[in-house]
Amino acid sequence: MTSFQLLAISLTFSVLATFGSLLSARNERLAIAMSGGGGLLAAVFGCLAGFSVLLGAPAVVDITGPFAFAHFVLRLDALSGLMVLVISALAAVSSIYSFAYVREYEGRGIGAMGFFFNLFIASMVLVVVADNAFWFLVFFEMMSLASYFLVIFDQDEEAVSAGFIYFLVAHAGSVAIMIGFFLMANAAGSLDFSDFRANRPGELAGSIAFVLALIGFGAKAGMIPLHVWLPRAHPAAPSHASALMSGVMIKIGIFGILKVGVDLLGGGVLWWGITVLVLGAISSVLGVIYALAEHDIKRLLAYHSVENIGIIMMGVGTGMIGLAADQPLVAVLGLLAGLYHLVNHAVFKGLLFLGAGAVIYRLHTKDMDKMGGLARTMPWTSACFLIGALAISAIPPLNGFVSEWFTYQALFAAALEGTFLVRFSTPIAATALALTGALAVMCFVKAYGEMFSGMPRSKKAEDSVEAPLPMVAGMLLLAAACIALGLGAPVIVPAMSNVATSVLGMAPVEVADGMIVMPGGTNKAVLSTPLLAVLLIGLVSLPVMISALFAKGRAGHRRAADPWACGYLPDAEMTVTAHSFAQPIRMFFAPLYTTSRNVGKSAQKLGGGIDACVSAARRIEPMFDRLLVTPAIGLVDSAGRRMQMLQGGGLSTYCLYIVAALAALLLITLR
Amino acid sequence: MPTLSQFLIALLQALVLLAVAPLFTGFLRAMRARMHTRCGPSVLQDYRDIVKLLKRQDMQPPAAGFAFRFMPIVMVATLLTITMALPVVTRATPIAGLGDMITVIYLFAVVRFFFSLSGLDSGSSFAGIGASRELTLGVLVEPTLVLSILVAALLAGTTDIGGIGAAISSGHVSSLGAVFLAGVAFAFACYFELGKLPYDMAEAEQELQEGPLTEYSGPSLALLKIAMGLKQLLILAFLFAVFLPFGSATDMGILSVVIGLVVFIIKIAVVALILGVVENSVARARFRLTPRHSWSGLGIASLGFVFYLVGL
Repeated sequence: MTSFQLLAISLTFSVLATFGSLLSARNERLAIAMSGGGGLLAAVFGCLAGFSVLLGAPAVVDITGPFAFAHFVLRLDALSGLMVLVISALAAVSSIYSFAYVREYEGRGIGAMGFFFNLFIASMVLVVVADNAFWFLVFFEMMSLASYFLVIFDQDEEAVSAGFIYFLVAHAGSVAIMIGFFLMANAAGSLDFSDFRANRPGELAGSIAFVLALIGFGAKAGMIPLHVWLPRAHPAAPSHASALMSGVMIKIGIFGILKVGVDLLGGGVLWWGITVLVLGAISSVLGVIYALAEHDIKRLLAYHSVENIGIIMMGVGTGMIGLAADQPLVAVLGLLAGLYHLVNHAVFKGLLFLGAGAVIYRLHTKDMDKMGGLARTMPWTSACFLIGALAISAIPPLNGFVSEWFTYQALFAAALEGTFLVRFSTPIAATALALTGALAVMCFVKAYGEMFSGMPRSKKAEDSVEAPLPMVAGMLLLAAACIALGLGAPVIVPAMSNVATSVLGMAPVEVADGMIVMPGGTNKAVLSTPLLAVLLIGLVSLPVMISALFAKGRAGHRRAADPWACGYLPDAEMTVTAHSFAQPIRMFFAPLYTTSRNVGKSAQKLGGGIDACVSAARRIEPMFDRLLVTPAIGLVDSAGRRMQMLQGGGLSTYCLYIVAALAALLLITLR
Repeated sequence: MPTLSQFLIALLQALVLLAVAPLFTGFLRAMRARMHTRCGPSVLQDYRDIVKLLKRQDMQPPAAGFAFRFMPIVMVATLLTITMALPVVTRATPIAGLGDMITVIYLFAVVRFFFSLSGLDSGSSFAGIGASRELTLGVLVEPTLVLSILVAALLAGTTDIGGIGAAISSGHVSSLGAVFLAGVAFAFACYFELGKLPYDMAEAEQELQEGPLTEYSGPSLALLKIAMGLKQLLILAFLFAVFLPFGSATDMGILSVVIGLVVFIIKIAVVALILGVVENSVARARFRLTPRHSWSGLGIASLGFVFYLVGL
C-alpha cells in the first residue's frame, strides 16, 4: 500500500472514532470503546504511513477541493512523515491509556471528550501533511479549537480561565501566521506551498514573514515570552490529552518554524537562526527554573515543556545558522539534534504526563505535597515515571541524553567555524544548556522523590493501589521507547540525519558507524550508548561482589530503624516538601521569579493601558509639563535609584564588574 | 568499538582506582591530623573502617524504598564507568566510545541524581536537606564547568578529553591566556565538586549529619565511603586529563606508562597537599552566600571565553 492509502485508512478510522464516540454519548462504556478503539486503529495506520514515508519516497496528492482558490494538496515528505509517526505513536499510547483513564469522567460527557480527542489528533495529522496555506490554517484552527474544548472540559473556574487565555494566544498566533502566509502568497501568486517554494519573497518581505511565523508558531510551541498560556492550559486538560498537547501539539509550533524558515523560505539570513537559538536558550533556562518552584505536578511538567521546546529550538536554530552560512555539517547536526529531541520529548513527556495522570487517578490531587511513598503501592507506575524522569534529565544512556549530546555537538561545530556573532552566541547557548541540565536533574529528583519516595503524606497516598492495566500498559510502551531510542542511537541517528538532509537539501554527513555515533567524523567525538549501557549494568557486579565477600556471618538486611530526628518521633511532616526542596534555587535566582510574576501582571496592565488611553484622550492639561518636565524628573530619579543598585556592597559583585569591564574593553579594542 | 586489550586496560584502571580510593581519603585524613599537630590515624585506617562496616548489619528506615537500597551499588557502578572513560595514566582515553567531555559530565549527573534521590527516599529530614543542597551545588557549578572546558575544547577543535589534553600538552593552542583562565575556572569548579571546606554543604558532618549518608549503615555505608573517595579521585583525574596532562603516557610502552603512573601519583599528592592546606585554613562558607563564590568562578570562565574570542 502507498503511504497515502495508509493515511486515508487512518483518517477514516479517526472520523469513525470521532463521530462514533459522539453518537454513542448515551452509552458511556460504548463511547469509551469507540473513541479508544477507533483512535488506536487510526494511530496504528498513521504510524505505518509515517514509516512508509521515512523508508520510501515523498508523495504528493492533489484532490480537487471545494474552493477554486485553494487546492486541497497533501504532501508526505520526510519531515511530515516523521511528524505523522510521532503524533500517531503518542496517540496510540494515549488511546490505550484512555480505556481506563476516561472512566474517571463518567457522567460528565465522555462522548464529547472522545469527539474532541479524536478530532484533535486527526487535525494535527492533517496540519503536518497539508501543502496549501489555506488548508494549513483551517486545520491549524481546528486543532486549536479541539484542544481548547479539552482544556475547558472540567468546567471549573480555573479550567475556563486557562482556556480563555489559551484561546486568545492561539488566535493571536494564527493571525500572525496568516499575515506571514499572505506575504509569501503575494510573491508566489497562489496559496500552494509548492509555489511558495518556487517563488520566494525578497529578503525584507521574507524576514517579516519569518518573524510573524516565529511569533505565531512560537506562541503555539510555548517559547518564552509567549508561554503564558501553556502552564495553565496543559494541566487543566485530562491527562491523556495533556500528554498529547505537551508531547505533540507544541511540536507543531516547531514544525511550523521549520516549515516556514527552512522549507518555504529556504533558510534565509543568518540572524533568523541566531534569533531562534537565543529564544531557545532563554526558554530552556527560564522554563526549568519556573518548573522548580511548582508543587503541582502537572504544572511542573508543563513548564518542562517550555524548557524542552527551548532545547529543540537550540538545535533547530543551529541548523538554520548552518543553512544560512552554507555549512552542511553545522546545519545537519543542528537539525538532527532538534528533530531527535523533538521525538524524544514527545516520548518522555507523554510518559511523564501519563504517569502523573495515573497518580491523580488514584489520589485525586495534583499537589505533590500530598503524595509520597507511592513506589510501594504503585510499583509499575513508579518504575515507568522513574525512567521518564531519568530520560528528561538527560541521564545517559537514555534518549534525552543522546539528543542533548548532539545539541552540544551542533553548537560546538557552529562555534568552531562561524562568524564572530555565531562564535560568541553558541558557547553561551551551550552553557545555558548545561545550566538547564543541572536544573532539570534537580527538578526531577524532586518530582520523583516527592511523589514516589519517602513516607506517604496523606491518607489517600497510604491507601493507593496500582493503576489499572491499560494505563500501565500505555506507560510501559513509552518507557520501553525511552530506552530503545537511547540504546538504539546508532540506528536512529542515521534515520534522523536522513530526515534532516532531505529537509535541508544538503549532502549527508557521517554520523554513525557500527555501534557508535559521532558528529561528522571520529576525530571530534564519539559516543556509544550500547557500550555505556553494557558497562553500567556490567559494573554493578563489582560492588555487589565486594558486599557479598563479607556477607558471611553478617546479620540479615533489616528495615526497622526510624530515621534520625534528634530524638523526637519522626513523622511525615518533618520531611522535605516539594516547596522547601527547591527553596535554595528560589533564593538564589530570586530576580527571575519576580519577572515571572510581572509577566502575569502585564496582561492586566494591557487592559489598564487601554483605559488610560481613553481617559488621557479626554483630558486637557498643560501638555508641555506632562510630556516633558514630569518624565524628565522621573527619569533622573529612577536612574539614580538604578545606579544605587550597582553598589551592592558585595566584593565578588565588584570583581564581576571589573571582569565585565575588562571583557568589554578587550572586545572593543581588538575587534 | 574497543578492542579486548583496550577494554582490559580500562577495567584494570577502574579496579586499581577503586582499590586505592580509601588510601587517598586515608592520606587526606592523616595529613589533616598532622596539620592539627595530632598523631592521627594511619593512612590505612579507612580500609579498616570499610572492612568493619562490611561485616555489620544493613539497616534502613521503614519509609525507604529501592532507591535507597540500590543507590550505593548504582553509584559505584557509574563511577567505575567514568573511570573506564577517563584518561588517567595515559593521554588518550582507554575506551574511545566514552571519553567525550559531555558524556563524562553527564555521567557525574547520574551519580548526583541517585545520590540525592536516596536522600529523599530515606524519609529523613537531614538527608532531604542534604539532597537539596547537593543538587543546588550542581546547578551552581555546572555552567562554569561546561564553559571552561568548552573554551579548551574549542581551542583544541575536539570535545574528546584525550584530544583536548593532547592539544594543550603539545602547545597546539592559539591562546594561552584563555587556556590558563579556563583551567583556573575549571579547577575552581572541581574544588566545589569535591565537597571540601569551605563548600562542604551536602554532606556537612557537623550541620546535617552527613546529609544523604545520614541513614546508611553497614555494607551500604562501606560502599558509599569507597564511592566518595573514588569520586574525589575522578574529579581530580578529570582536571589533570584536560588541563594538566603533562607527563601522562602518550603511547602504550611499559616505560611511558610507568612514568605516567608516577607523574599521576605526584600530581595527586601535590593536590592533596594543597587541599589539606585550604581545608584546614578556612571556615565553612554560609550556604546562602555560596552563589557569590560560584558566580566569580563563572566570571573567570567568561573572561577565559572572551580571551579565546579575541585570541589572546
